[in-house]
Amino acid sequence: MHLKKIFFIICFITVVVKSNAQLSGGFESNSSWYIDDKKIKLEQIEAEDRLRTNAYLRLDYRLGRFTAGVQAEAYQSKALLNYSPNFKGINIGTYYVSYKNDSIGLEVTAGHFYEQFGSGLVFRSWEDRQLGIANSIAGAKVKYAPIKALQFTALYGKQRNGLGFKFTDGNIIGLNGELDLSTILKAKKINYNIGGSYVNRYEKSDNNNLSASVYLTSVRGKLQRKGFTVDVEYAFKSKDALVEFGNVRPDLQFDGDAYLLNIGYSKKGLGINASVRRLENFGFYSQRNLAGNVYSEGVANYIPALTKQYDYSLTNIYVYQSQPGLRFEPGRNKAGEIGGQAELIYQFKKETPLGGKYGTNVSVNYAQWHGLKGLYDANDRKYKANKFTFGQKYYHELGVEIRKKWSKKLSSAITYLNQYYNARYVAETIGEVNANTVVIENTLRVGKRNSLRWEVQHQWANGEFKNWAASALEFNAGERWSFFAVDLYNYGNEDASGKIHFYNMGAAFKMNSVRVQAAYGRQRGGLVCIGGICRFVPQSGGLNLGLNIVF
Amino acid sequence: MKKIKLIVLLITLYSFTALAQQMPNVKLTDLEGNVLNTSTFNSKGAKVTLLAFWATWCIPCINELSVINDNLADWKKNNQFNFFAVSQDDSRTVNRVKPLVDGKNWDFTVLLDKNQDLKRELNLMNVPYTILVKEGKIIYRHSGFVLGDEEELLKVIKANQ
Repeated sequence: MHLKKIFFIICFITVVVKSNAQLSGGFESNSSWYIDDKKIKLEQIEAEDRLRTNAYLRLDYRLGRFTAGVQAEAYQSKALLNYSPNFKGINIGTYYVSYKNDSIGLEVTAGHFYEQFGSGLVFRSWEDRQLGIANSIAGAKVKYAPIKALQFTALYGKQRNGLGFKFTDGNIIGLNGELDLSTILKAKKINYNIGGSYVNRYEKSDNNNLSASVYLTSVRGKLQRKGFTVDVEYAFKSKDALVEFGNVRPDLQFDGDAYLLNIGYSKKGLGINASVRRLENFGFYSQRNLAGNVYSEGVANYIPALTKQYDYSLTNIYVYQSQPGLRFEPGRNKAGEIGGQAELIYQFKKETPLGGKYGTNVSVNYAQWHGLKGLYDANDRKYKANKFTFGQKYYHELGVEIRKKWSKKLSSAITYLNQYYNARYVAETIGEVNANTVVIENTLRVGKRNSLRWEVQHQWANGEFKNWAASALEFNAGERWSFFAVDLYNYGNEDASGKIHFYNMGAAFKMNSVRVQAAYGRQRGGLVCIGGICRFVPQSGGLNLGLNIVF
Repeated sequence: MKKIKLIVLLITLYSFTALAQQMPNVKLTDLEGNVLNTSTFNSKGAKVTLLAFWATWCIPCINELSVINDNLADWKKNNQFNFFAVSQDDSRTVNRVKPLVDGKNWDFTVLLDKNQDLKRELNLMNVPYTILVKEGKIIYRHSGFVLGDEEELLKVIKANQ
């Protein structure tokens, strides 16, 4: 019998090889060996598991118009610090089969899939391994484009939560349509399209006051002519129960809505972009009682913070997080956010006084966010928010960045960032912070294949951590090796135990599609944010190893 | 039996490693809203295609694209290839793509991969990430960017004319 099976498998292999099928995949693992030192220690509850790995193996198998895939995940002996405890052990994370036929405009997927409607305001499922977000929908999805200018998407399923075959309680139904009007009307110089979405979460409850269905709808349009772009979107969410620290309040139900407007203009050498947004009670989770949970489990829409995303360590200490949620608390009532951001990018041309030989790039960015002004009654859990007036200030940032190439060998960048961060509202802790940060970065080419990069950073802040100084040095030797050393020093911390050097050093090696990275040092605690979605990590020390292979 | 299964599985995996990875079929839009299907890189006899995956918030990516932009005209004089920069910006930053591309005076086509569909299907690590596609097969991958890496890109393009 065993022989039969093997024979069958061999036949199968022969068939697939002959039929030009193809297997591809990727392996990624991130391990930490947490080592305590004088200043940084793991919490007792975490200290039993000092060696931890998050590993992902993804395999995709293609045969003609069919693709099938599976992703196995391992979290041993536990997931890295502050990932959801639902990521544990070794198991299958996602699996799928899909059929794609472009000639008839059809794509069908069964199993796990990722999808986004419009800007993601009403629905998005995605994976971000660093953030611990893995909220694919398991079910079925059909995409159909009867003509090129028109596309429909319909999906149904349950959202992944953790590993294996664990899902959140709600069933998700989603419908989306996109219509490219300019193609249909044969407009040549102008480009406009419209879209609409409907998403429903169906979750039964024993409580008669709770409706099983909560829905979100969105209408949107985009217009583009020459260098001008205008995007608008309006979205509405039907009544959903208030959730306070995981407790569902069937007696308190609120609806919500969202407005989004984006305007852009650009031509060669100049780009301008501005966005305004107003959110009122617009968090959306695939399971009622997960609303506002710290691990972002069950998140079913995407509400990024509309601020500039910075790449330097000290510019990422006071990171704004979008505030779509509803919260009643005397002195800290919140029902959403209102604000905007604008950015200007300009290039001083070559051979001009400010441009020099290679040109100079400048960008200026400003963002400001507030709570919704209105009447709040924290005791009775009632509120009435005004439509377009600004309430409590949450955040502002003014950033200026200048990039300049001096010669074929040397280039520099200087960044200045001024921030106001209302921690009391944004992070729901205490206090407010005004911070000024300066970063100077230089890159020097050494020979044809080597380069040296160094960074000096300083932050002046009047609250929370107070002043920081930081420096980084990176040497890239040829195409394979990189070495780096970084130190962040919180010298201004008023608490002596907080005056810590967060040093880190390591090396990375890459060859073809393999990348290995090892580092030793300390990790600053705080928010790890990608796309404005953040995960809190405690400070830690130790050895880190990362491995990445694609095949 | 378990051992045999494992061996068979390994053989199966091994029997495939000889095949270079194929370019998946994903629809991307450019900044003017035109749809481009990545399967167009797959036709026989097509020019090789260089794809640079990037994002507006990624500084090494911007360095890479600036360097490529500076060299592109030169490279194209002596070599036949297509070049696309594939943005991984999601809805938080996707509106920054066009102002940035124009503001930097970049002279190449930028494609948008808003929910990272192509990135996922290619099993890419973080940006910057560069691949070269020849008749649908991915013949070269490079992760990260440091000054000087462009020399290697040119070398690989030259070798695949």
